[in-house]
Amino acid sequence: MSGTATTLAESGATGPDARPAAAAAPARYRFVRRALNAGPVLALILLCLLFTVLNSQFLTVGNVRGIADASAILLVLAVGATFVILLGGIDLSVEGVMASSSLVAVLLAANDRNGNDLGYLAVLGGVATGALFGLVNGVLHVRLRIPSFMVTLGTGAVGIGVATVLFGGQPPRLLDEGLRDWGIGRWAGIPRVVFIAAVVLALGYFLQRFTKVGRYAYVIGGDEQIARLSGIPIARFKVAAFVVSGTAAGLAGVMAAARLGVGDVQIGSGQLFATITAVVVGGTLLTGGRGGVLQTLVGTLLISVLANGLILSGVSPYVQKAVQGVVIVAAVAATMWTARNRIRVVK
Amino acid sequence: MSIRTPVRRVGRRMRAAVVVAAAVSLAVTACSSASDDDTSSGTAKSKEDIVLVEAIRSLSNPYHANWAKGGQFFADSVGMQVQVLTDEGDSQKQLAQIRSLLSGDKTVVLNVDPNTSSDTQAIVQAVKDAGGYVVTQWNKPDDLQPWDVGDNWVAHISFDGTVSGYEIAKKLFEAMGGSGGIIALQGILDNVPAKQRFAGLQKALGENPNIQLLDQQTAEWTRNKAFQVTQTLLTKHSGKVKGVWAANDDMALGALQALKAAGLQGKVPVVGIDAVPEALQSIKSGTAGYVATVSSDAFWQGGVGLALGYQAATGELKVSELEQKDRAFYGKQFVIDKSNVDQYLTPPEASAYTSDWTDPFARNTGPIS
Repeated sequence: MSGTATTLAESGATGPDARPAAAAAPARYRFVRRALNAGPVLALILLCLLFTVLNSQFLTVGNVRGIADASAILLVLAVGATFVILLGGIDLSVEGVMASSSLVAVLLAANDRNGNDLGYLAVLGGVATGALFGLVNGVLHVRLRIPSFMVTLGTGAVGIGVATVLFGGQPPRLLDEGLRDWGIGRWAGIPRVVFIAAVVLALGYFLQRFTKVGRYAYVIGGDEQIARLSGIPIARFKVAAFVVSGTAAGLAGVMAAARLGVGDVQIGSGQLFATITAVVVGGTLLTGGRGGVLQTLVGTLLISVLANGLILSGVSPYVQKAVQGVVIVAAVAATMWTARNRIRVVK
Repeated sequence: MSIRTPVRRVGRRMRAAVVVAAAVSLAVTACSSASDDDTSSGTAKSKEDIVLVEAIRSLSNPYHANWAKGGQFFADSVGMQVQVLTDEGDSQKQLAQIRSLLSGDKTVVLNVDPNTSSDTQAIVQAVKDAGGYVVTQWNKPDDLQPWDVGDNWVAHISFDGTVSGYEIAKKLFEAMGGSGGIIALQGILDNVPAKQRFAGLQKALGENPNIQLLDQQTAEWTRNKAFQVTQTLLTKHSGKVKGVWAANDDMALGALQALKAAGLQGKVPVVGIDAVPEALQSIKSGTAGYVATVSSDAFWQGGVGLALGYQAATGELKVSELEQKDRAFYGKQFVIDKSNVDQYLTPPEASAYTSDWTDPFARNTGPIS
């Protein structure tokens, strides 16, 4: 599914007998759809070329590895966030969830604060923390009808609060070398976190393409009224999307703890903005219904390449943030350029 | 909303009544707040009328957590409670929290670490208007002085960043053997400490022509950012980075992890500032390559700010009689490396500071120039 505004038939919502209408659409429409999705990819290729020209070190093995490493945690976060954004909602709790899950994971594994040594169960604990926050987000959003913006803002603050209590004034250090190796070690020259991110991406794509959670996310995001009228149990799938996002944030928190060697309340600082930017720049609409995890991959790479390239090309640190802002606005404008006539409502 | 709720029209009499009620309540509020202002400024207060407040960035970093503990040491010494406000780096939130505390009826003694220099004026003005006493630390605009604003702004304490940045740079160069390339991780570029510490580094670089500054980037005081930036810089200048200078310990610790990931742990010396416990342990172990840090003694900072304000509020300290050099001064800094790290490893007892609470100016090393 290439993710443009789809009819119910194309999204497969009407049951196993409906043939994907994509095969029946004229070739012209398929080409236009491909071209619309090419914007971010073109921007990425352009940026890479630009930075290679400015500094030949950009395309070296070491640097590409560094970019992949820097993108891994962001990609995990962004894949999870994609499902919520596809619904038309948003998940602002990622920083709080990362903080809590990193502390839970470190305090359960071998650390310098207490005598626990649960190894991989600690990872499970951290991820489960994230899933729990996601569940709370989803249930509050659906049952109490609080906008996702508000709910996730609140749970994010709760996450920071829980993390601060667990933190106790000083970051507990992760002493489990096996887990630390997952954060900074390599397999066949590729950082292990990149493998984790790749697995998460594959799982995300599977969810998006082949399960109801993914396919109905498009429907609900495209037009919730129509989805409701056609009898889809919206509540269930909304909660599921938030759980996916929370679980991803939990995993990202554990990965960050493994990388930095501590559980820290500030471990997720700055990640919220980066995550949402990665999803939006990739081509997923904030209003929902269009986009996907592959687009998010492109968006994540765009951000990492940009941050890395600006340092490599020697742009003054006083100006970098401004340049990043300009490039991101330009990238989003380029993505939306051909579609701007079709988008009638801009929020 | 039920459709059956009848829509009532507000009649003329009703509207007139509402207007009169609003006018009366406004007048009453105005009268009562005007009378409050007259009684609270200038006169000496007793313990029951004073409330002690700390306003810091957050409790989730060891530096500010120690600050809060120091404040508790002082509060215990005078038998009072202390309230801690955290703003998580949000200037508006800091000001709003302080304002809401000031609107109570007790005299506020505030020890604040303003989020940025631009916030200081609004904060001290709000405290002055409410008749409280404030001590600011670290950030204030260069042209704004406590004696210009009044006696309610008791003092501004800072630490000469050029000294600390310079001292750790010297320790770093020593560990590098006097020559090689270094990278510098700066704090938030707008902060006074960030600018001062970097100036200290540049002064040390001027004195050591065999050391080159390969690159300098901001890691915004955080560990996470420092990890990513260091990773990129290690690639950009691969093989040439022989030392890392970071403007605070959090960033230095992030850089350390990036060095570990690149297989360079222990081979490239790192320095920072703040003396957080993790950094001290790293210096002690000697294997990580962490060479030096600087302590401004966060415990002292947390307590002395309250001590000065408390003494001013109770009349023990006559602010109008203080010299300018005691109203805006630099505190003492301690350079910590392997040779003296042991004495800093254990957290201090409250008793270590009792003399500082009675003489808050004991660590005054000079006026802020």
